[in-house]
Amino acid sequence: MIHRRVAAALFLLALGCEKPVKPGDPLPGLTAEELARFNRGKEVFDSVFTPHTGLGPLFNSTSCGECHEDPVAGGTGDEVEVHATAFKGGMCDPLVQEGGPVIQLHTTPALKAKLGIDREPFPPSANGRASRTTPVVFARGLLDLVPDSAILAYADSEDKNHDGVHGRPNRFVDGRIGRFGRKALVPTLAEFNAGAFVAEQGITNPAQPTEENIGGKPIPPGVDSTPDPEISQELLDLTDDFVRFLAGPTPTKLDRDGRRGRDLFSKIGCTGCHIPTLRTGASPILALNRREFAAYTDLLLHDMGPDLADICLGLAGPADFRTEPLLGLRDIQHFLHDGRAATLDQAIELHGGEGVGARERFKALPAADRAAVVAFLKSL
Amino acid sequence: MLRTTRTAALSAILLIPLVISAPAARQPQAPTQPAASYTYRGTVHAVNAPTGSLDLVTGVGMSLRLVHLTAGPAVRSSAAAPTAGLRMTDLKPGDVVRVECRRTNAGLVVDRIEKLEAPAR
Repeated sequence: MIHRRVAAALFLLALGCEKPVKPGDPLPGLTAEELARFNRGKEVFDSVFTPHTGLGPLFNSTSCGECHEDPVAGGTGDEVEVHATAFKGGMCDPLVQEGGPVIQLHTTPALKAKLGIDREPFPPSANGRASRTTPVVFARGLLDLVPDSAILAYADSEDKNHDGVHGRPNRFVDGRIGRFGRKALVPTLAEFNAGAFVAEQGITNPAQPTEENIGGKPIPPGVDSTPDPEISQELLDLTDDFVRFLAGPTPTKLDRDGRRGRDLFSKIGCTGCHIPTLRTGASPILALNRREFAAYTDLLLHDMGPDLADICLGLAGPADFRTEPLLGLRDIQHFLHDGRAATLDQAIELHGGEGVGARERFKALPAADRAAVVAFLKSL
Repeated sequence: MLRTTRTAALSAILLIPLVISAPAARQPQAPTQPAASYTYRGTVHAVNAPTGSLDLVTGVGMSLRLVHLTAGPAVRSSAAAPTAGLRMTDLKPGDVVRVECRRTNAGLVVDRIEKLEAPAR
C-alpha cells in the first residue's frame, strides 16, 4: 500500500517536472528516426544558397535560417519583406502577371548585370502594399493538422452570437480552406514551405519547378543556369519535417499577476479569436496525433479595421487578417504583421475592426491589470 | 557451301516472325504517345470566350503562377452544350475551376472545365 502511494507520488512529481520545451526544440515524443529527420532538416533549413546552387535570380534571403533565426532556427528575425496586390470591385488580383504577390528585395549579380535592377520592380497595377515581418514557425506541424471542420466550427461570418466578431475562413486559389500566412491563404504546411523556397530564395523544387517572372517579364537568358528543380524532393521533405516537428515552447511559469492576466485575457474577450487550445486530427506521427496544444488562434480571418489594412489575398480583403497564433511572444521585439507595434500594449491598442471591443475593454482596465495581461502574453 | 546454306536457313527462321507480323499494307500509324495531359485547379484570372483565351491563377503556397490556356473545340463558345462540364462562356473572373487540358504545339488546349465546390479535409 505504501509502495503504491510512493509510486503515485513519484509519478505526479515526474509529471510536474516534465522538461519544459524551449524555443527551437523538437516535439516531445518523436521517434529516433523522426528526430534524425528533424536534425537533418535543420541543416537544410540553415544551409546558405548561392547563385551557383540555385539562389535567385530574385530572392529575399539566402537561407530559411537567415530570417527565422532569433533566438534559434525557426524563430523570428528582423527582415521585413514586401507584398503587393490589387483589390478591385471586391475581387483580389495577386498580380502574378506583374511579379506579385511577393516582391523580392534582392537580385543575383547576374540579373543585376543584365537588367540593372537590384530588386524586383513594384507592380504598377498595385493598389495595396504590405510589409511583412518574419513570424516564428513553432508548432506549425500541429496547426497543419487541425481539421478543417474544427476551423469551420469557430466561423461565425454573420455574427449570429452578436459578439461583434465574425471570423470566416480564407480559401486558396483552388478553393481549399487556407490557414498559413498572415492572410491564411495557404492550406498546408508542405505547400507553404515549398512555395517559400521559391518566393523567398528563388529555389525551385519538385512542388514548384518554375522560377517566378521578373515584374511579369521572363528571366533573361544566361541569368539562371542552374537546372530546375534546384533542390531535390528529399531536401524539400527534410526541411518540411524540421518545421513540422518544431514544438511550441512551453509557456514560462506564471506568477500570481500572470495568472490574473491570463484570466483577464479571456474575460475581456481576447479568446474570442485567440482560441487558447486547438486539437490535431489523426496523424501517423504519434507526436502529432490527436494532440491538444496551445495555439491562441482560430485560423480564421477577421476584419481588423482600416488602419491596419494593406493587401488582399484570396477571399481576404485589405483589412482582413488571420488571427495570429500567439506562440514565442517572449522573444518577439516587434508585433503585428508589419512590426509597427514596439510593445504588446501597443499591439493590443492597434487592434481595430472586430478587435475594437476587446481593445476598449483592455484600455479600460486599471494599469496593474493591463500589466498583468502583458505579463501573461510574455510567458508564451 | 554448307556454311552458306546454314546461314540462309538461320536467317529465314529469324525473319519468319517479322514477316508474319508485318501489316499487309502500310497504314497511317496512330500516335503511340498520347499528348501529355494536365489538370489544373485554380481561380479564373481572365477569360475571353470569343478568342478562346483563359488565364488561371494556380500555384504552391505564396508562389503563385499564371497559366495561359486556349479553348479546345469542346469548350468553345460556339460548341453545343457539352454533356459534362462547362463552356468558356460560362466562366467569369474569380470562378474556382478544374481544367483538363493537353499540351500541343500551340500551347495548352482545354478539353473540359468544371467549377469546383470547395473541398474540406
